Amino acid sequence: MADKETAKADITFFSPELVGDPESSSPYLKGYRCKNCGQLDFPKLSPCPNCWGEEFEVVKLSTHGKLYSFSDIYIGQAGMATPYIFGYIDLPENLRIFAQLEGEPGSFQCDEDVVLTIGEVRKNKDGLPINSYKFKKPTDKNHKFKVWHSVSE
Amino acid sequence: MKFQRDVYIAGVGETKFGKHDVEYDVLGRAAALQALRQSNIHRPDIVQSAYVGNGTNGIVTGQTVLKDLGMCGHMPIINVESACSAGGMAVYMAIRDVSTGFTDVSIGIGCENHTLHMQSGTAFAPAMSDIETMHGAVMTGKYAMRAKRYMYETGATIEDLAMITVKNRRHATNNPFAWFKGEISVDKVVNSRVVASPLTLQQCCGIADGAGAVVVCSAEMVKKLGIDKPIRVAGAVVQSGPFHNRPRDITGDDITESSAEQLYAESGIGPEDVNIVELHDAFTIAELLYYECLGLCPKGEGLKFLRDGNATHGGKCVVSPRGGMLSYGHPIGASGAAQIAANVKQMRNQCPGYQVEPAPRVAMSHVTGGGLSGTEHAACTMHMLVSDW
Ligand SMILES: [Zn+2]
Repeated sequence: MADKETAKADITFFSPELVGDPESSSPYLKGYRCKNCGQLDFPKLSPCPNCWGEEFEVVKLSTHGKLYSFSDIYIGQAGMATPYIFGYIDLPENLRIFAQLEGEPGSFQCDEDVVLTIGEVRKNKDGLPINSYKFKKPTDKNHKFKVWHSVSE
Repeated sequence: MKFQRDVYIAGVGETKFGKHDVEYDVLGRAAALQALRQSNIHRPDIVQSAYVGNGTNGIVTGQTVLKDLGMCGHMPIINVESACSAGGMAVYMAIRDVSTGFTDVSIGIGCENHTLHMQSGTAFAPAMSDIETMHGAVMTGKYAMRAKRYMYETGATIEDLAMITVKNRRHATNNPFAWFKGEISVDKVVNSRVVASPLTLQQCCGIADGAGAVVVCSAEMVKKLGIDKPIRVAGAVVQSGPFHNRPRDITGDDITESSAEQLYAESGIGPEDVNIVELHDAFTIAELLYYECLGLCPKGEGLKFLRDGNATHGGKCVVSPRGGMLSYGHPIGASGAAQIAANVKQMRNQCPGYQVEPAPRVAMSHVTGGGLSGTEHAACTMHMLVSDW
């Protein structure tokens, strides 16, 4: 009975399969490495689209990435407040993440470094915030993104 | 697809595009009847199969369109949905029926009414079960990211992109079926409201209503029906979009490139032989990228192709001679069929005021469809038409 009610309630966090330690100071995106063929995917794709394997190892993905492209959205989805910003973030693990960006419209540029954060991406039917992964400009400028340059395309 | 016999277009129809206060089925019926009459078909029991493309208007849309023409009960009617590719895909299926010998006469229809069904001031998005949609994705923004990256890599300006709107609206000036048409300045395009930076309102196709229809038949039926300017379908391709969740170049378009390659190979016609193209210019940036993806010019030379006047009358290949989606607007289920209808009319020299001279002998159309996370597009449909008479 209680379970049923929980299932019915509108989620306020998108999915625990996507983000590890979401409430902590160091959340991370969960990559899924296929135990059969080794392919790493985000989000989780099951079965593995490469070999249809069904067993995965969770991998902590880099929290730093490079903003490949982005757009400031002024006419958005029905019910979403504008402007909001989204972009493609390329991670050193050779994964591209589509995510909202936290920051001012007009302040981002292609190929700049961004870091993972958690924040509101939309409201649910009850007007409560739905939190999920987002990216933003790094606040600590000294925290250099070390592994980036070793990434092949 | 591999053709097992020749397939010809007998007749086509299209409605005026824009805001309509009548439903999709009324629009679809109007286009279908026009196409049927033009094919010298004046009875409901001649056509042997019908495919009806529609994106968002409901269920059993095809039967709803064809019931009042008395066609239900005489043939299989199959409803086709693939977002913006639906209309093109419906025509593809009709061609396939004739090509395999399953039928001798088939019709493909595309129709859509958004005005009566959509909340205004919002943008198209794929289903909410899609992870990108959940995070706020809209089609405008996905094209905007392509534009942003293209400008970043090539130094193209927003004024460059705006020239596409200017060109296509000019092409449409005297086209009675187009919605937005005539002179518009680069300034006005650039300074219109920002939809998804860097794309402004006048760089996005309008959300319109309309329909297109195409009747296809065998060589034997061309004679029986007495069609004097049959258009031969030299190639038809449908592909589904490959999935990626890894870094890739979005200034290219994998599904368009591979569809074009297949179409050229199967039709034996190369990009240099194509006289006119209607392509998926839902946004200015798309047309620019597709010059390169379709091989109309070498990679990296899309802007030069445009600036040199190669995409307009007198150039190498007139792109969007009807005015494209930037002039017609884009009723998603209708556009693919309407593009083919417009190409046929150009080839038959039936476009007073917007006719390409001399009348094109080879016409190509290209329509993609649908956002789906990890794909550039969920679908791509292309057709190659030739006139042999
Ligand atoms: Zn695997």
